[in-house]
Amino acid sequence: MILQLVACDTEDLSQSWQIDRLRVLAVATEPAEPRPGDLVTFNALIVSPVDPLAGSAWFVCDGGASDDFGCSVDPALFEGGSLEEADPEDLAAAGFIGFLPALPPAWVVPADYLDSLTEAERLEGSFAMTYLAAIPEVAEGGTLDEDDVELAYKRVPVSLAATPNHNPAVLAWRVDGLAIEVGAEVLLDRGQAYDLRAELTSGSVEPYTFVTSAGVTKSLTEEPYLSWYLEEGSFSQSNSIFPVDTTVYFSPEEPVHDTASLWVVVRDRRGGMGWSELRVRFKAPA
Amino acid sequence: MISALLTALLVGSPLARAEEAPVVPAEELPPLTKDPALLDFVQAPYPPDAAALKLEGTVNLLIEIDAAGTVTLVEVLVPAGNGFDEAAVAAARQFRFSPAEDATGPVPVAIEFAYGFVLDAAAKAGAHEQAQPVGDPAELPVNLQGTVVEMGTRRPLPDFLVRIDALNLESETDAQGRWQFRGLPPGSHTVRALHPGYDTLQKPVDVVAGEVTSARLWVRNQSYADPGIIGTYRRETADVTRRTISMDEIRRIPGTFGDPIRVVQNLPGAARAPLGTGVLIIRGANPEDSRVYIDGMYIPYIYHLGGFESIINPDLVKSVDYLPGGYGPQYGRSTGGSVDATTRTQFPERHELRWSTDALDSGGVWLGSFGTDHQHGVGVAARASYIDLILPAFLADDGFTVSPQWWDFQAKYQYQGDNPDKFSLLAFGFRDTLFIHTPDGYAQGTDPDTQGDIGTQYSTYRFGGTWDRAWGQHWSARIAPSFGMDEAALDVGDTFHLIQTRYTAELRAEAAYEHADHLSVTAGLDLIAGWADFIIELPFNPASFAEIDPLAEREPYQLKGTATGYGPDPWLNVRWKPLQDTDQLTLNAGVRLMYVIIPDENEVLALDPRFSARWAVGKTSVIKGSTGLYHQPPQPFQQYRPDDDPALVGAEEAWASSLGFEQAIGPAIKLEVEGFYKDLNDLIVSNRSFGSLDDSYFVNSGDGRAYGVEVIARHEPIGRLFGWVSYTLSRSERQDYPDEDWYLFDFDQTHILTAVAGYRLPYDLSLGAKVQYTTGNPTTPYALGVYDVDQDFYVAFPSGDTNSERLPPYWAVSARIDKLFTFKSWQLLVYLDVINALHGENPEFEQYNYDYTEKTYFKGLPIIPSPGFELKVPL
Repeated sequence: MILQLVACDTEDLSQSWQIDRLRVLAVATEPAEPRPGDLVTFNALIVSPVDPLAGSAWFVCDGGASDDFGCSVDPALFEGGSLEEADPEDLAAAGFIGFLPALPPAWVVPADYLDSLTEAERLEGSFAMTYLAAIPEVAEGGTLDEDDVELAYKRVPVSLAATPNHNPAVLAWRVDGLAIEVGAEVLLDRGQAYDLRAELTSGSVEPYTFVTSAGVTKSLTEEPYLSWYLEEGSFSQSNSIFPVDTTVYFSPEEPVHDTASLWVVVRDRRGGMGWSELRVRFKAPA
Repeated sequence: MISALLTALLVGSPLARAEEAPVVPAEELPPLTKDPALLDFVQAPYPPDAAALKLEGTVNLLIEIDAAGTVTLVEVLVPAGNGFDEAAVAAARQFRFSPAEDATGPVPVAIEFAYGFVLDAAAKAGAHEQAQPVGDPAELPVNLQGTVVEMGTRRPLPDFLVRIDALNLESETDAQGRWQFRGLPPGSHTVRALHPGYDTLQKPVDVVAGEVTSARLWVRNQSYADPGIIGTYRRETADVTRRTISMDEIRRIPGTFGDPIRVVQNLPGAARAPLGTGVLIIRGANPEDSRVYIDGMYIPYIYHLGGFESIINPDLVKSVDYLPGGYGPQYGRSTGGSVDATTRTQFPERHELRWSTDALDSGGVWLGSFGTDHQHGVGVAARASYIDLILPAFLADDGFTVSPQWWDFQAKYQYQGDNPDKFSLLAFGFRDTLFIHTPDGYAQGTDPDTQGDIGTQYSTYRFGGTWDRAWGQHWSARIAPSFGMDEAALDVGDTFHLIQTRYTAELRAEAAYEHADHLSVTAGLDLIAGWADFIIELPFNPASFAEIDPLAEREPYQLKGTATGYGPDPWLNVRWKPLQDTDQLTLNAGVRLMYVIIPDENEVLALDPRFSARWAVGKTSVIKGSTGLYHQPPQPFQQYRPDDDPALVGAEEAWASSLGFEQAIGPAIKLEVEGFYKDLNDLIVSNRSFGSLDDSYFVNSGDGRAYGVEVIARHEPIGRLFGWVSYTLSRSERQDYPDEDWYLFDFDQTHILTAVAGYRLPYDLSLGAKVQYTTGNPTTPYALGVYDVDQDFYVAFPSGDTNSERLPPYWAVSARIDKLFTFKSWQLLVYLDVINALHGENPEFEQYNYDYTEKTYFKGLPIIPSPGFELKVPL
């Protein structure tokens, strides 16, 4: 039995770090931890290596009123077949806040959002739930299969914290120790192992204070982690917990395409997120 | 003329004690105080045709002997043909025995008897050898002497015939196995040692004038089978369904590692356990609803590391009783089945060391007895694993280290003398550890609280005793106190720690009054008391379950405390045999009061009336039935309240009924059919309304039902063959809340078919095979996960009702081959056990990919060859 358990793997199944279809990889809000009355804007890392992305619909709701899968959005809202045909009042009532890229989502935190909490509880705050549906383009004359829509949700912390959170950010990639400028393309051999490092900006790992339930104020430091994704090849591990900010990338022996993307997403565990993409080109076989 | 030399075999000890017609499986047998002895052996005429053809043969017979020692039945188990069978049966019918006895006096028995037909040397040579008269031997000096000793056991053998055919002389061995001849002429003589059940030994010895020649004759037993209890004994049983397997059968069942506890998984009513573990899933009950006892002591963990082997050495186990349901009030605090392992109660006069080694562990047991009458029986056993040394050979060298380890020990003392006070002591314990080391820098998921090494350790120690005494014909009493300690520890990384030390005291006491075989009343007490120290350290406060916010700061939580609880369950059972033939109808009525008190936290009280009846219809059939209530207190964790208020959960209840029949088909085959229905109420389920600290995590709102039919056709280990075919057709369902739908129990298996067979071949070879087929477990389908961006995982949507689909069926074939080598002073058993010999790929559960759009099966055990050996050395 132990043999089985330790040998347990899911190699027959597609892996989370392998990007071969439409995926939402990260969502960041600005500010990362708003106060009541703040305007919140949203950005997302949505990748779609096969079908072009049509866009993403965004909704927001009270975290306490959400279910386990994000906001409860009534499907009847889209019975007309598209958002354009939906009644704007109904959309607003459902918490619709935008559609990327045409209508960038934005949300103003209600001023009374934390009123139900005690003064001490407001320091830790509550959260709102954001729900998004990433929708692929449908070929002319075709219909959208709902299984092709990628659904995701994210909490937006709302508080009066003395040290509100900020999003972490990736400063640069390093491949075998060599710094790669953001946006640059790196040339790699096929079938080789490369040490990858995602260098975070200096402010990414923030100190913050936390008031315990006993009323004690504690000074803490974030413990972010990195999630690695790719289109071709594989990783030695797909997550790295800070201060480890590296993984090993194994380039494919026989890549399907000459170029591929790698992504890294950093999460600070307080709702803050940042990400970066690395484009790689595989050398032609000798 | 050809003379017939007749040998007969009384295998080891009486196979079984039998009444007029053996019809029901045995429960634990009181030991025989005296074996039957053959007083009048009748020589069968050698079949003329066989003699003419110089054929020899052995006929295996089943002989039933009544309490007067008279043969009442002779049947051929293994024929030899050529006229041997008829001759052996006719002769055996005229045998006369001294009766077997137990503590109550003479009792009937059934024995296996091998009637051998062996041609003497002259007949073989086709010539008549003239015996040489040697005068009056009594006046001549002894000049050839020796002993007859059993190979493998070094046991001196009494009542052996030692012959010198050429001189027509013979001598019979005394109690110490000694024989002698007087006045033999100098020269070479051929000595033959003969006895039923042993290979005839022929050995040349040289007699020198004026000297005394000594010779030790090593003879080989034709069957070294362990004389375990078997099921042809017929006596009233208090429990409607009690299935007993002999240790000899257990050792030969493939795929069980020779483990007596795991064997019950092959009996009707027991569902297949996942991943080859030893989990007991009996008649649609959760694993935690069934209890396992060793000599009546409750054991929380019965398997090393969840399923390899049970924690007691098989050589110290006398029998294992499997009670799937309908049991009496002496067992309680559970709504499922019971498994009661009884340790050895008889120890050999001659000390003996046994050693066994297999792929998992090695261990030894020492058995023997002391005292002038060998009245003090002692057994000591110990075992240790080394699978942690073997595992690396099967695992990738990726920096992970998996170290499972265990050891166990047992020590038993049994008074086996004539004093009316009978007592025994048993101490045992075990310790298991499992440590998984994660390479530095390797992320185990993304949660900081799940990083680092994982280690778990648990151990159990028990010390207990029994005292039995009878006063006259009517009164008897038994007291069995025990005390023990259980430890459990779990460490996950740096933030999750669980340490628990629990002390348990148990007292089982019963007093019985029996009136003229018709009525017996037994009053008992089943007391258990425990107190525990525990420390729980978590990276979060469990109270926060009510408001889950994964982005909120977690506060480390520590719960440190002590807990006490006790349950003094009194019980009463009345057994009434209203008919003149006391074996014809047995009625049992019992009641048990389950009372569990956890001071300041919980108090559970329930009354369990239970009834059962057995009605023997004719000599070969029994109709049986039972009905009764069974209550089970909540598990400790189910009673926990974060606010320390009294628990809000009570006992779970089962009303279990059964009706069935048993049919004997000849002396060796029995058929048993039993239907059962179990109505489950007040099952403890998660509180769906949990929302604050004022709420209990669990509530008694669940219901359930389990019903089915069990069939077993069993060939007792008589002759060369043993085995059974068992089939269970069952359904088990649950409903968590009255307004919710019923769903299938997680381990519901509609069809459970198990066929087990063992066959003894010549040359001490034996083969075993097991075929299992079960319906796949229910499973809940999922489809399309929704991505939780903050936690970087997908939350799944069930795409169907709970347990609305099933895994593909499971089937597996396991095989085992044993070869026993017998040397002069020791024996070696070598075996190969091949689990899943045909490499059936059996899904154990479903595995989904990260977003629940793909799934595959986590498959069960691959083909696993498990070689091993057992060494038996008489000291």
